Amino acid sequence: MNRLIPMKKEQILWIAASAVGLLGTAAAGLAGVASLPAPVAGVSLAAAWVSIAVTLGMLIRHLARLKAMTQVFRVGAQMKIPFDSRRDSVLGEIAVAAEQFLDETHQKVRQMQDENRDLGLQVQLLRRRKSSIEAILNSIQDAVLVTDDRDRVLLANTAAESLFGFKFDKDNPCLVHDAVSWRELIRLIGKSRQSRTPHVRHELTFPQKDGPITFNTVLSCVLDDFGNVLQVVAVLHDVTREKEISQMKNDFVSHVSHELKTPLASINAYAEMLVDGEAQDAETTRQFCSVIQGQAQRLGRLIEDILNISRIESGLIKVSRQTHSLALVIRDAVQMIMSYAQEKNIAIHAPASILYDQVSIDRDMISQVIINLLSNAVKYTPAGGQITINSELNEVEGTVCVTVADTGVGIPEKDIAHIFDKFYRVEANNKYAKGTGLGLNLVKQIVETVHGGSVFVTSTPGQGSTFGFVLPLSKERAVQMVS
Amino acid sequence: MEKKKALVVDDEFHIVQVVAIKLRNNGYQVDTAENGSDAYDMACQTKPDIIVTDYQMPVMTGLKLIEKLRQNPQTAQIPVIMLTARGFEIEDALKEQLHISACLSKPFSPREVLGTIEEILGQQAAV
Repeated sequence: MNRLIPMKKEQILWIAASAVGLLGTAAAGLAGVASLPAPVAGVSLAAAWVSIAVTLGMLIRHLARLKAMTQVFRVGAQMKIPFDSRRDSVLGEIAVAAEQFLDETHQKVRQMQDENRDLGLQVQLLRRRKSSIEAILNSIQDAVLVTDDRDRVLLANTAAESLFGFKFDKDNPCLVHDAVSWRELIRLIGKSRQSRTPHVRHELTFPQKDGPITFNTVLSCVLDDFGNVLQVVAVLHDVTREKEISQMKNDFVSHVSHELKTPLASINAYAEMLVDGEAQDAETTRQFCSVIQGQAQRLGRLIEDILNISRIESGLIKVSRQTHSLALVIRDAVQMIMSYAQEKNIAIHAPASILYDQVSIDRDMISQVIINLLSNAVKYTPAGGQITINSELNEVEGTVCVTVADTGVGIPEKDIAHIFDKFYRVEANNKYAKGTGLGLNLVKQIVETVHGGSVFVTSTPGQGSTFGFVLPLSKERAVQMVS
Repeated sequence: MEKKKALVVDDEFHIVQVVAIKLRNNGYQVDTAENGSDAYDMACQTKPDIIVTDYQMPVMTGLKLIEKLRQNPQTAQIPVIMLTARGFEIEDALKEQLHISACLSKPFSPREVLGTIEEILGQQAAV
C-alpha cells in the first residue's frame, strides 16, 4: 500500500537539487520545481512526489544504459575524451561523453548517408557513361575488336559482330579463333601482342561473297605500368570504296594523259616534219598543217570535256538557259555530224518533227549532248549502217524525249548499268573506237544535273543501241509548225 | 640497192602516216597496219626488216604482237621498236625477254624514230 509522506518545502528543494546534481543538465527541468511559488508547491505536494518518482524511474533506466556505455567510454577515455572539470559527477561526465559520442555518431551516420547517396549517384553516372560508351562504340561503322592476353574477345562492337558473323557475349567471352575466321587478322593480333608496338597499321583484303573488302586495320596494344600487354585493340576501317576511287583516279590520269598525248604526238611529229622540210610540195605542207590544226582542235575538245564534267560536278559551270526549239537544235547537230557519218557510209535519218515544243535549255550544252550521242552512234556502227534520231512529245507529262537509234555493235548486258559512268569503257567494244569514257558521262551530267531531265539506253548486242534523254518542256509552251 | 622494208603499226591514223612519210622520204619501203593482229599477218607475208609498233591498240596490243612474232621462227629475229605513252613503259626484263630493240615515248620525234631504225639496222649489218 502506498503512503503519502508529508514533506516540507525545504526537503523538496533538497531533493530537486540532488536530482540536478545526479542528472546534470538532463534533470535540469526538475530544478524548476524549486522556483515554484509556495502556494502551488504546498497544494501539489503529492503530485511532486509522483513526478519525482517518475523522474527517478527514468533516471534508473538512463543509468542502466549509461553503465553499459561506460565500457565504451573506457576505451573512449584512452581516446582523450575531453574532461570537463566543472562536472563534479562521474555520471555527469559519462553523460557529456555519451552526448558527444551520440552527436558524433549521428554526424558520422549523416556523413555516411551523404557519402552513400553520392556513391549511388556516381554508380548511376558510371552506368550511364558505360551505356553511352557502348552506344558510341556500336555506332562506329569501323569494326572494333578487343582481345586479352589469353586470346579472349573482351569487346566487340556491332560492326565487328556483323563483319565477323558472331554474337559478342560480355559475360561469356569467346576465343578470338572462334569469333574470327580470318587467320591473317588473328596472326597479326598475336604478332602485335608479342612486339608490344603501341600502334601498327596494316592494309588487309578479305574475300567476301560480294567481292573482296579492303580494310585499313590499326592494331593498338594496351600496356600496364610494367609494360605488359593487357589487351590488343583492333580497329578495321573499310577502305574498299576509297581504293576503288583512288584506282579510278589513277586510271583516269593514266587514260587522260594517254588521250592527251595522242593528238599532242601528232602535232609534235607533223610540226617537226615541217621544220625538217619533209613536206616536199605545197599540197603535203597543207596536209601537215591540216593535221596539226585538227589534232589541236581534238586536244581542245578533250580538255573542254574534262573541264565541263569537273565544272558541272563542282556546280561551278555557268549555265545560260533560254527557250529554244529542240527540233532546230537536233537539225543543227545532225548537220554537224553528217560528214563524219558519210565518211563511214552511214545514213542518218532525222524525220522532221511536225510539231515541236519549246524547252528551256543551255543550247550549247544540249547541242553537245546530241552531237555526243550521234558521234557515238557513228563510231560503233559498221559501214553501211543506219542511225535514226527522233523526238517525241509527251503532253500529259509535259516532257520531250529524244532518241538516237543505231544498227551498231550494241552493248553487252553487263555493261549497260555502267555505260553512263565516268571513264567507263565497254571492253568488248574497245576495238571499234577509241575514247576516254567521258562523252556519255557528260551527256548524263548535262541532261540530269544541269537540266533536271533523265537519260536512258536500250541495246541488243549485234543489233544496235538506242540512247535517249527526256527533258521537261518549257513553261512558255508554244506549239508551232516547223517550217 | 634494195630498199629496206619497215612495217609501221598504230591505231592512230596520223601517227602511222607521219612515220611512214618520214621513212619513205628517207628511202624505206613502208607497210602499215592499225592493230597487232593485222600487223602479225602482214609481217608473216612481207618479212619486214624492222617493225615500229604502238603499245596500246585494239584487237591485239603491241606487246602481244611481239610475243607472237617471237614464237614464229620466220619472224622471231625481226627487230622491233615500240612507241609507248609515258606511264606504260615496258620493264627492262620484259624488253630483254622479247628482244625489243628500243622503246620511244610519245610524243615522239619522227627524226628520232628514223635515227633509231638506222642505228639498229646498221648494227645488224655490222654483225
